Parts: sequence; structure tokens; C-alpha cells
Amino acid sequence: MDVISNQLFAGLSMASILLMIALGLAIIYGAMGVINLAHGEFVMLGAYTTWALQTYAGIGILLALPIVFIVVAAVGWIIEKVVVQNLYHRPLDTILATWGIGIILQQAVRLGIGAESRFVKGPELLSGNTQIGPLIMSNYRIFLIFFSVAVLYGTWLLMTRTEFGMKLRAIIQNRGISECYGIEAKRIYSLTFAYGAGLAGIAGALITPLFSTIPTMGTGLVVDAFLVVIVGGLGSLIGAASAAVLIGEATALFSIVINDTLGRIAVLAGIIVLIRFRPRGLFPTETRR
Amino acid sequence: MQARDLYSFYGKSPVIQGVSFDLAPGEFLAVLGRNGVGKTTLLKSIMGLTDRCDGGLAFGGQDILGLSTPQRSRLGIAYIPQGREIIPQFTVRENILMGTFARPDGKREIPDYLFEMFPILNEFITRRGGDLSGGQQQQLAIARALAMDPKILILDEPTEGIQPNIVKQIEDAIVRLNRERGLGIILVEQNVPFARSASDRFLVLDKGRVALSGKSQELSDDVVEKHLTF
Repeated sequence: MDVISNQLFAGLSMASILLMIALGLAIIYGAMGVINLAHGEFVMLGAYTTWALQTYAGIGILLALPIVFIVVAAVGWIIEKVVVQNLYHRPLDTILATWGIGIILQQAVRLGIGAESRFVKGPELLSGNTQIGPLIMSNYRIFLIFFSVAVLYGTWLLMTRTEFGMKLRAIIQNRGISECYGIEAKRIYSLTFAYGAGLAGIAGALITPLFSTIPTMGTGLVVDAFLVVIVGGLGSLIGAASAAVLIGEATALFSIVINDTLGRIAVLAGIIVLIRFRPRGLFPTETRR
Repeated sequence: MQARDLYSFYGKSPVIQGVSFDLAPGEFLAVLGRNGVGKTTLLKSIMGLTDRCDGGLAFGGQDILGLSTPQRSRLGIAYIPQGREIIPQFTVRENILMGTFARPDGKREIPDYLFEMFPILNEFITRRGGDLSGGQQQQLAIARALAMDPKILILDEPTEGIQPNIVKQIEDAIVRLNRERGLGIILVEQNVPFARSASDRFLVLDKGRVALSGKSQELSDDVVEKHLTF
């Protein structure tokens, strides 16, 4: 029983990381139909920015979060302006282009900073554990769960309660007429891409105490995040959240019953079966292209 | 608004070929012609929604061919496309509010007179645009356009496919907006009697060119026979 509850908790904290990565992917796909294969590298850049801030400026993870968000969002904004914006009418080419950008970013970090693993210290404030009966929870992981829920809520507010969100929703439904009413679709797209990238950066910052910071760290994470987006239903926020929990927990539980590798295979097999019966995910949205 | 030898292209094919017209502030221009002669394309060209334009197009003395669609809208050009194109997932209020995004002063208020003109919109203010009937959607589209406080209103067959009792309301609203609020209007219309009685000037298009233009009282039955019947 102890094992199960502890694994459930571990699964939930993994789910919260996945959720933050998947949110960015889901927003970028939902808004512009771009499958951003460089998203894992945004996570990696977030992690390295955190490392650099801690190593050279002595800024801890929590204080680094807003800076990391801005830095990675700026990188995303530039990439959208220079490359992605020219490819909106060629969706297949965006896959290739963003994949290429991902490789470039990865190799640039490998050449500039080195391939060896970098260490980032977790925040002192959140060190230690909280124990409830047999369940031992690290305070940092508890923080992750609450933080990701806050990010999800903030994103929902941004999309439904702000003028920016309304403009974005208008463009998603009818770009032509939105432009006829003063909405600068290009500008909104750039900002949306930047926001998605920034979220990935924050996720990268937050996993530094849990994962080794290496140039290829984003690749594995982004695969899981893609699974979350596909299972949740492309472009759906609530879908991404529930799918993140589902996949995080399934991975954690399977790895008790069988081992990690077989658990992974079981999760993938489960997703294939799910997609067979619900090809558009758990919460499909109607108004996407 | 002035057009001088305007050409407009989809891909490489010129759909509008050398169209010129003048429209003084507050004037009402009716654009007539059979199906497929480029009436809708002419309106889209004014908004910058075709692939490419050549020639001259000015609004308020300013050349607008080099401007993007959102920039043109902020000059006060409101476009109500064929098929209305309201946002189906938005509520009636959100749809009208969307019109204010084109206001250069950044105000986000819905003018009260819209609801006096179309009381049904006030009643259905929280419903989704997509749940409204065709006629109500057309009223909503006009309200959205008016929310930006435009100088000129461009309408593409606003009464097409709409129940007859609402057609009259919409026609009256268009005339009132022109006469009472001094809005310039460019109207594409199949209903010749309405176009003749409402407009100051007319333009008959044929194969992307101006076949005939003049004052609306000169729009005789001979002209209608020659250019507008099939």
C-alpha cells in the first residue's frame, strides 16, 4: 500500500511537469496548427538558463522563473518571426523546420556549454519532506503540483478572460474576418508561440533539480508531452490536464507492477488502443482545422 | 474612396480589371452585376483580402493598397462579407465587442443605438452567434461593423437567403445609417429596386470591368434588361 501511494504521488508530480510542457504544445498547435518539434529544446534552454543564472549570478530556481520565461519566450518569438511565420500555409514543412531548429539549438548548446551533465540545486525553501502516514512527499514535488495547476488556471484565464485570448480565439475560428476587424493575426501568432515557448522554459527550469541537465534532455520529455496532447485531444486545455495525470499515473503504476521498461511499453500500448477508439483524443475540439 | 484602374488577382488571374470609381463621404454606391463578374472580389480587394492588387485605391486621400487588412479596418472601413461570417462560438456580446478592436481610439464600448436598431440582439446577448437564425446573424454582423464606429460600410448581399420579414428591417437599417448617421456605403445587391431607391450612384460590373456607371435614378429598366438579367 505504501508503495502504491508513494508511486501515485511521484506520478502526479511527473504529470505536472508533463502538463506544463504539453500546454505549450497544445496552445501552439491549437492556435496555428503548427506541430512544434523544437519544443523539447525550449525545455532544455529553460534548464540551461536556470543553470546559468544559478552558477554565474547566484539566482535560485524560484527567482529565476520569470527570467527564464522571458528568455525562452524571446527565443520562441524570434524563431516564430524568422522561420515559422513564413510556413503557416505549409503545415508539413513546419514539422521539418522546427525539427531542424531543435537540432540546431541542441548542438549549439553542446558546442557552447558542453555535453556533460550540469547540476542545479533545488530551492532551500522547499527542501525536506512532508509525511502523511506512510506517504512521504518531497516539498519540492508538492510545489510542482500546485505550480502547474496555477499555470493551467492562468493559461485558462489568459485564453478566456483577456482581450488577447479573445483575439486569439477569433483568429482560430476565422482569420480573415478577424483581420477585417483590426486584429493583427501575425502579432497574435508571434505572442502565442512565445507564450508556449515560455511555458516550456519554465518546465525546464523546474525539472532541473530532478533531471540531469544535458543537451538532449528535451527529446524524451517532448515525446511524453506529445502523447499527452494526442490523448487529451489536440488544442484542448482540459484534455491536456487530464491526459497528463492519466499518463503520469499510468507510467508510475505500471512501473510497480512490472518494471520501468515494460511499464513504458504498456503505457504506449494503452495509448494506441485508446487512439484506436477515440482517434481525436479524450476531449476533441470542433473548431480546429 | 477612390479607385483608379484597380486590378486584383487570385494567383495569376486578374479578377478585377481596371475598375475606377469615386465615392464622396456619406455617399451610397450600389455595385450590381450578374453572378461571377467580380462584385465580391471588388469588395475583398478594398479590404486587402485578395492575393495582389495593382492600380490605385485611396481612402480619405490616403493610398491604402500598401496597408494590411487590419490597418485598413482601423481607418474606419467596415466590411460585412457574404455569408456574414460572425464567430459562431462567440456570444452575441463578444461578436459585437470584436468590432471595437478596429477602433483607433481603443475604446471597448458597445454603442446603445445598435440595440435600438436591432432589439433582438439585446435579447439574445448571451447566446452563441452560431445559434442565431440567418437574419439575426446578419443583424449581428451589421452591429459588429457599427461597433467600430466606421466611416464607410461595405456590405456584400446582406439580404441573401434571409427570411422576408427581416429583409425589410435590414434594408431600412442600411438606409437609415446612410441618411441619418451619414455613413458611406458600398453595397453589392441583387435586388435592383432596392438598390435603385436606396443608392446615390451605381456601378454595373461585367467580367471584372465596369460596364456602366452613373446616378441611380438613371438606372433604367433597359439597363437592367441588358446587364442584369440572364
